[in-house]
Amino acid sequence: MNKRSLSLLLVPAGWLALFLLVPTVVLAVRSLGPEAARTLAEATTWMLLGRSFLIAAVATVLCLGVSYPAALFIAGCSARWRNLLLFLVVLPFWTNLLVRTFALMFVLRPLGILYTEGAVILGLVHSFLPFMILPLYVSIEKVPRRLLEASQDLGASPWRTFWKVTVPLTMPGIAAGCMLVFIPLLGIFALPEFLGGTRVPMVGNQINHYFMRSENPGAGSALTLVLMLLTAAFAGLYYRLRRTEGLV
Amino acid sequence: MRRALGAYTGLILAALYAPIAVMVVYSFNASNSFRWTGFTLEWYRRAWENRDLRSALANTVVLALVSMTLATVLGTMAALAARPVFRGKKLYAALVSLPVMVPDIVLAVALLALFRALGVSLSLWTAALAHTTFNLSYVAVTVSARLQGMDRTAELAAQDLGATPWGAFWRVTFPAILPGVLSGALLAFTLSFDDFAVTYFTSGPGGATLPVMVYSMVRFGVTPEINAVSTVLLAASLGLIVASLRLSRVPVAGGGR
Repeated sequence: MNKRSLSLLLVPAGWLALFLLVPTVVLAVRSLGPEAARTLAEATTWMLLGRSFLIAAVATVLCLGVSYPAALFIAGCSARWRNLLLFLVVLPFWTNLLVRTFALMFVLRPLGILYTEGAVILGLVHSFLPFMILPLYVSIEKVPRRLLEASQDLGASPWRTFWKVTVPLTMPGIAAGCMLVFIPLLGIFALPEFLGGTRVPMVGNQINHYFMRSENPGAGSALTLVLMLLTAAFAGLYYRLRRTEGLV
Repeated sequence: MRRALGAYTGLILAALYAPIAVMVVYSFNASNSFRWTGFTLEWYRRAWENRDLRSALANTVVLALVSMTLATVLGTMAALAARPVFRGKKLYAALVSLPVMVPDIVLAVALLALFRALGVSLSLWTAALAHTTFNLSYVAVTVSARLQGMDRTAELAAQDLGATPWGAFWRVTFPAILPGVLSGALLAFTLSFDDFAVTYFTSGPGGATLPVMVYSMVRFGVTPEINAVSTVLLAASLGLIVASLRLSRVPVAGGGR
């Protein structure tokens, strides 16, 4: 690497070191105090973490189930329809998540399910659908048609072709979609507050509580660090399974 | 079978848009309840006359502009630096894409802890540093995608013909990656404009943006102005995405905070 490239590298890398790595170290140092130890020793902390993971996992799986048929349909459309449908799927997603969550309250309140666990899961699935549909669509579109035809010619039912050919070949898309949904879901806190009230707190709500309401940054730092390590473990696993080039 | 799938996809789309449509309609409802009693612009007028909301609007725009500018420069540098093969490149790539991967609350709280440890009081400027950090990654990824398909022969030819590396960059490489840089910049603006979590933790009392205002308005009791503010935010986001689609054929995929 020559000198010019090195100087090009140092500025952004320095920024990220200062505003990403140093803060992580600060969090870690903060997590060494007695309040943090007390929080991590409490069973309720781990129950909360477990429940947040469960809610996020359930929402991710539901999101996958809800998205797959739609992605399958879009991938089978003509180019014009495909672009239009993809555009329509992605469009809401460029609008503010908070606004979309607030809008959901209008629908969930008359249904009588606002402030329940079901409302939170429904809201999570609703908000992250495009994140799932898009990678699924990309990988379904890549499945060679002739493989599907071959499967049919050899006597497999459409159902069997779907499970034995399409699903295995779209595993990369399934994995990518699940990652893209699961990780942000873990840290979410405004949505559970809007749709679940005080009854369905997730880790994010507890972190918010520790930092902004009860002034217990030690406990908040510890909880954030745990969340960070867990998501890093998931992301690391995912990147191991995937080949990349360049930055993306 | 195909028909059933089509109907299903239609239902999904309806479910995606219905709540938003209901909210927009209610923002024009004359009564302050769930019953429709007639059209009014009263809530928009009240929202506009609310000084906190107006300063939040200004904060939102300033924050998006500042972090967009910084992140576009830094992110483009980050992507260009990743072109040659070097030792530790994987680590570097992981560092650059980290803000995209971690939940935003983690980044927000870590920065909050840093600012508190340094004794920096929170303001719009601390929020701008925070936004630049996550936006840098998104710009780097966007520009890097553009760079991947490009071969370097033109740039090297320019240098062989006597251009300085700097001159070759501005006259050859930069024009070629400009669409990527522009879509990265627009993405950064949009992400910053829509961000709630990072701003909430890093902006302090004077630096509230519109999303932060929406959050506290919903928490402390729903007033009809929220519908109006939310509708405005919605329209602004849609305007931004339409602008970016027109400006360059941006892949719509891959963003969203």
